[in-house]
Amino acid sequence: MCGSFCLIAPPDVLVRIAEEGAPAERDSALRTLAKSVGLRAQRATVGSAMRELGVDAAELAFLAPTRDAFITVYDVGHGGDFALPGERRRGEDDPASPDPEVNEAYEGAEKTYEFYREVFDRDSIDGRGLEIVSSVHYGTEYDNAAWTGAQMIYGDGGGGMFITGGMTKALDVIAHELTHGITDFTANLQYRKQSGALNESFSDVFGSLVKQRVLGHSAADADWLIGEGIIAPALDGVALRSMKEPGTAHRFDRQPASMEDFMDLPDDDNPRNDHGGVHINSGIPNRAFYLAATEIGGNAWEQAGRIWYVTLTENLGPNSSFQEAAEATVRVAGELFEESGSEQNAVRGAWETVGVL
Amino acid sequence: MKVSIVRGGGLAGLVTKTAVDADSLPPEEAEQLRAKVEEAGVFDLPSKLTTDSPQPDRFSYEVTVQDEGREHTITASEEALPDSVRDLVSYVKNVPGREDEVGPPDDLPSE
Repeated sequence: MCGSFCLIAPPDVLVRIAEEGAPAERDSALRTLAKSVGLRAQRATVGSAMRELGVDAAELAFLAPTRDAFITVYDVGHGGDFALPGERRRGEDDPASPDPEVNEAYEGAEKTYEFYREVFDRDSIDGRGLEIVSSVHYGTEYDNAAWTGAQMIYGDGGGGMFITGGMTKALDVIAHELTHGITDFTANLQYRKQSGALNESFSDVFGSLVKQRVLGHSAADADWLIGEGIIAPALDGVALRSMKEPGTAHRFDRQPASMEDFMDLPDDDNPRNDHGGVHINSGIPNRAFYLAATEIGGNAWEQAGRIWYVTLTENLGPNSSFQEAAEATVRVAGELFEESGSEQNAVRGAWETVGVL
Repeated sequence: MKVSIVRGGGLAGLVTKTAVDADSLPPEEAEQLRAKVEEAGVFDLPSKLTTDSPQPDRFSYEVTVQDEGREHTITASEEALPDSVRDLVSYVKNVPGREDEVGPPDDLPSE
């Protein structure tokens, strides 16, 4: 029943086969679903059926890694979520596109993939070769980039916060967003209050490390800025955030540098409160990483980066707090290097300086 | 008719507020604003269009419409925003005669 038919059957039909079919048919339908970019990018359309089946994206990726179209970039033509992913513009082995944003999104995904593969032996976002789909030209003057849970979206900027074309220009921003995907598949830090600020901080940490490694910057050479050069002149600043000196990147930057200035905002639906200050309080763990990495010295992705990576992927959970994250990094530093060694001392000292330990 | 839109979150985590009063617009624009509000059916929408597990770095919105003694506010996650409301939001964000503010979280006054 499910031979070549499955290749052209729409997702809802495949879901029905997966629900009602014999085991072999179910398997085949799931494999086909897993290969479907349309499904991955528009998970919402069939999301409820997939949840009833108890199938998640990780399981689908395991069933059918799609190495033939590994990094792909689409143009969503200023549409919103319901128009994703849009028209395919560049895939593996394709020549560069005439659209610079397509190429920047492609190369940013490629460099981020290479970083995780070469430094941490991680195969893509899910660790199992998940295809990395990106769509550019999302929305109208959309001043943002994000990981939707299934793919990357990039706006054009130019809405008052970012320069036009800026959303794909900063490699650390691209790697920040893709790291949200990795967090989804690992610690799954809930996007609220301290766990949400940790989620943000891990994205800034690895966003910065991807940039540092491409530039060949040691911890001492790095600028420790996120989104350098892409913010609009109205923000009167150099970047979105500074890991080294939180609160100094632009005129509205209110990130605290230590627990003394932690902002306890409510986690409500009020857009003024940012899910309990996730982009505010991330300044504290950001600075802890900067302090640890510069104290250890050398390339930040080698020791400090590994400690933070093992912490994120093996030692934290959805509701982890700053203190739990701090204790985990100290423990992991001892396991990876040595108890009371210079790495562990640097990590403990960093969290003490920012007032978490 | 007055429409005000507060947007928070996003990669930058900043808050913007955009407000427009139909009385201060040329008749044609005022008419278009009314049509967009009508099309979005703002007064008939539930007050919460939010998700339990928000996607990182997406925007969140608060849209308030005041008209002839009626007032209704909806809060929405970007990923749950109906296309018609998205259309209203981008119209208001670009209409000449609007008032714009930007600032850090927890800094812009509520109504």
